[in-house]
Amino acid sequence: MMNRFNHLPTLKIDVSDKIPFTYKGKTYYGTKGDTIATALYANGVRIYARSLKYHRPRGLYSMDGECSNTMMEVNGIPNVRTETTALKPGMVVKEQNVKGSAENDLMGFIDKMDWAMPAGFYYDTMHKPAKIWPVAMKQIRKAAGIGKLAPDHHMPGKYDEIFPSCDVCVIGGGPAGMKAALAAAQKGLRVSIMEARPWLGGHFEYRSSEYISRQTHHERAVQLAKEVEKTENIRVFTHTANVGVYNNNLITGFQVGKESDSFTERYIEIRANSVVVATGCIERPLLFENNERPGVMQAGCALRLANTYGILPGKIAVFSIGHDLGLETAVALHDLGLSIPVIADIREDGQDPAMLKAVLDRKITILKGWVATEAHGGKQVKKVTIKSVDGTISKTFDCDVLVASAGFTPLTGPLVVNQAKLTYDNHTNFFLPTDLPKKMYAAGRLLGFENAKSIEASGHLAGLKAAYDCENCSIADLGEAKKAMENLPGPARGTKLVTAPVKGRKTFICFDEDTSIKNIKQSIDKGFDVPELIKRFSGAGLGPGQGGIPGHNLPLFAAKYQALPDIKIKPTTVRAPLVPTLIATYAGTNHTMFKRTPMDEMQRKDGGIFRNIGVWQRARYFSKDFTCKKEIENVRTNVGMLDGSTLGKFRIHGPDALNALQRVYVSDLSKIKEGRVKYTAMCNDDGCVIDDGVVIKRGENDYYFSTSTGRAGQTIEWIRYHTRYDNWNFAVINLTDAMGVINLSGPNARKVLEKVVDIDVSNEGFGFSEYKEFKISDTIPVRAMRLGFVGELSYELHVPSSYMKSVWLMLKEAGREFKIQNFGVEAQNVLRMEKCHIILGQESEQRTNLLDIGLGFLWSRKKTGCKTVGVAALAQAEKDNTRLKLVGFKMENNGRAPKDGSLIVDDRVRGYVCTARNSFSLNEAVGMALVEGDMSKIGTRLAFYEDECKGELIYGTVVQTPFYDPDGKRMKM
Amino acid sequence: MALTITCPICGKRNGYEFRYGGEEKGPRPDEKDLTPESWCDYVHMNQCVAGVQQEWWFHRDGCGSWFTIFRDTTTNLEKETPEAKE
Repeated sequence: MMNRFNHLPTLKIDVSDKIPFTYKGKTYYGTKGDTIATALYANGVRIYARSLKYHRPRGLYSMDGECSNTMMEVNGIPNVRTETTALKPGMVVKEQNVKGSAENDLMGFIDKMDWAMPAGFYYDTMHKPAKIWPVAMKQIRKAAGIGKLAPDHHMPGKYDEIFPSCDVCVIGGGPAGMKAALAAAQKGLRVSIMEARPWLGGHFEYRSSEYISRQTHHERAVQLAKEVEKTENIRVFTHTANVGVYNNNLITGFQVGKESDSFTERYIEIRANSVVVATGCIERPLLFENNERPGVMQAGCALRLANTYGILPGKIAVFSIGHDLGLETAVALHDLGLSIPVIADIREDGQDPAMLKAVLDRKITILKGWVATEAHGGKQVKKVTIKSVDGTISKTFDCDVLVASAGFTPLTGPLVVNQAKLTYDNHTNFFLPTDLPKKMYAAGRLLGFENAKSIEASGHLAGLKAAYDCENCSIADLGEAKKAMENLPGPARGTKLVTAPVKGRKTFICFDEDTSIKNIKQSIDKGFDVPELIKRFSGAGLGPGQGGIPGHNLPLFAAKYQALPDIKIKPTTVRAPLVPTLIATYAGTNHTMFKRTPMDEMQRKDGGIFRNIGVWQRARYFSKDFTCKKEIENVRTNVGMLDGSTLGKFRIHGPDALNALQRVYVSDLSKIKEGRVKYTAMCNDDGCVIDDGVVIKRGENDYYFSTSTGRAGQTIEWIRYHTRYDNWNFAVINLTDAMGVINLSGPNARKVLEKVVDIDVSNEGFGFSEYKEFKISDTIPVRAMRLGFVGELSYELHVPSSYMKSVWLMLKEAGREFKIQNFGVEAQNVLRMEKCHIILGQESEQRTNLLDIGLGFLWSRKKTGCKTVGVAALAQAEKDNTRLKLVGFKMENNGRAPKDGSLIVDDRVRGYVCTARNSFSLNEAVGMALVEGDMSKIGTRLAFYEDECKGELIYGTVVQTPFYDPDGKRMKM
Repeated sequence: MALTITCPICGKRNGYEFRYGGEEKGPRPDEKDLTPESWCDYVHMNQCVAGVQQEWWFHRDGCGSWFTIFRDTTTNLEKETPEAKE
């Protein structure tokens, strides 16, 4: 492990704190503050990965995660950008897409096969004859591609989400962003800053050069960051990548948690009134032969390796740069001990005189108008050829690092995803945003400013503009800030050079997809002449870096190659997520949220096997016998208890309560009598049945009604929607959670109930379809109804949730002498099926109307003037004989029941099975099915086609319904 | 969701809280003289305006009221009046 600097003020590492991790099975040590990539670099690793197509060695290049070069598998997670991921103790790091190792990849020979793989070769070859493709595809997929995720991989960590709002959101926490935030905050506004790196400061942070006399850029960054942090109305999100910007100024991103944070990553969705984008620049890659050979890196990367992470990138470095930051890097690294034989500066002139002097003072050779044309060395840079820009004179230098950078590329992504347009600017050689969205401003380096004061002033101005949008800034203040800008240097002139004078066979414009200049030329020659088409045909910019490396080089090169008179073509469109985001982060916390009934705990103790049913968890079985034989027989011959608390329960009251009910229910509820239970149904505007339940009149303008479990959540919305024009005076209250329901069923139900309640529960005193209200022990209010859903003598007791356990225990105690048993949802399902009582959603689907399932008798045709929902459609559907009909069937020759959902077929599909079971009560298999009208006659033979039946049909016959107790004597006894 | 909606009771809130209830089409037609076609038109046919339309929203995760707003379907932004251009 190399020695690391420990004295630089800019450092973000603590060399005294060693962090162990494993790489390829061996233990290495990084230091606190390292990223995975810097820790590997410090341990001498130079080849981080092999490229997608040619298996070329790849190394540390930019440090900002805009290419796949340093993607590795970390703790089983593939494609981790190790250059932006903080090192944590015990991390297990592996290389990807290699056969052997990154250093010695057996697939490396493919690099020499590039002649066989021109741009678009996937489209051109291996499809004639068609048989070849499946074979070829397998081999290609084996050789190409990046990380692999184990199919059973479980994502460790905690993922959270927050949805803050603010007046001004600043994207980018560099000098411009911080100045913008401070300007807006000083106007009294609430400000949020999103910064991708773990700290504020942007490109000032890692620069030790002079900002003003006796203050370095780094010190200035620290000063601004302190000011921001002590400003209470600025909320700072560091290590937070911006991934999306939407209209209405909705900003999304994700934050990587620190060790002290409660989350691994969290999704952040900020709603802001106005937005300042100060994302700055990345460097524009210089294009020359082998421009991605390990050892080639951008100026900012080399500088940050030294200043932030205390690593001298190598021993001897050649520089081929096109901006003053390159010169600054050379000076800084020279002072730290790097030997620099030559700086090739693309620019003939225009260098910052102070920088130039600093270079010359250090006796570093600088060649103006020169550029690197080829990096030599098989796996790592060993030599560099530089040429004069015209390509006529060349020199070669030994080195182990080549710092190469053509210019800058503004990070305009946040503006572009929010519909800003990019236009080429000749002065900066940038594609700059025009037509900025409303209440959105750009500031800082991304506009081309390089002068530190200009960058800050532009941030200040943008902050005030954002404040002005929030009506917290005067025109005079704005004018002042604009004037201040005018006295400062404007945007810097950008270098125009796109490619060094090379042919470009191994000059890569896109690293992720191994797209060379030659490939781009091939694409254009084939007619794919604009970046969007070149991208699709050659692959440039399609990789995980999402166009970070080809960025502006692609349109600039395409324009140059086609000798376009002016640059009207644009970079490819960027889209959210701007930075690849874990799906786990979008998923957030693991929401397993289910409602539990008041009886939940007791039913679990009683051996209930629970299933998720809608928003609830319900006891479906009470034994491992999923046919529920014992539960069913107990209800048929004795007495059982079911927890029906999930049923929807509502009160509707007020002068127009009846009007509202008449609107949504198909029956005529004006005739309903107090003390009686009225079963009815709701349809939608197509006449399709959506809900059934009972309605009880409790008094004048006061009704209690139930809905099916699944509809409880939408009922109030539904009633209010269909009465929204009427200005009716009624209130509807959801009592679903306030009331529990106990269903006491079986021939012995009366004997149990009479022990608990004081009222007369005889058949005369409490008859079928009647409703009673009473109190148990003068205390517990009960709403009781006599229903027959399961086809036996049955009481449904509606009890306040808080009393549910008490009543349940009373009934259980009273039923002990009869051996009362629980029954679950599945037993109920079979019991009611034997009676051909329907469950909506099981005997119906979205297209099933009231008439189809034989509930037409509920529809009151005499009810007029109510504009009842669905009636108009029912009147029409009545004449339609092509609709499916609900029928009962039993199986032939004592056969078993078909699976639910099996198809009914002859030469085509004629219907399907809703519910079918082997009935213990009847000793045969029966079921209900929806079939085409002409098959609904009694005696029709039905052929069932089951899932995976391999063509072996089973048969049944349409029979009279209900199957069990056709006269309904048992439930009325 | 980038959309914000102004509920008459709860004020401007995140679009997540609301459920869409369709275009404003006027009250339910009278049952008399209703043809299958006119009923179908009322229930299923929409204007699908590219521009500002009046539409119903339900404050599902809030006060539970139905109300209409004007929304520009091309920008997905709420407008104060049907004429509002920008």
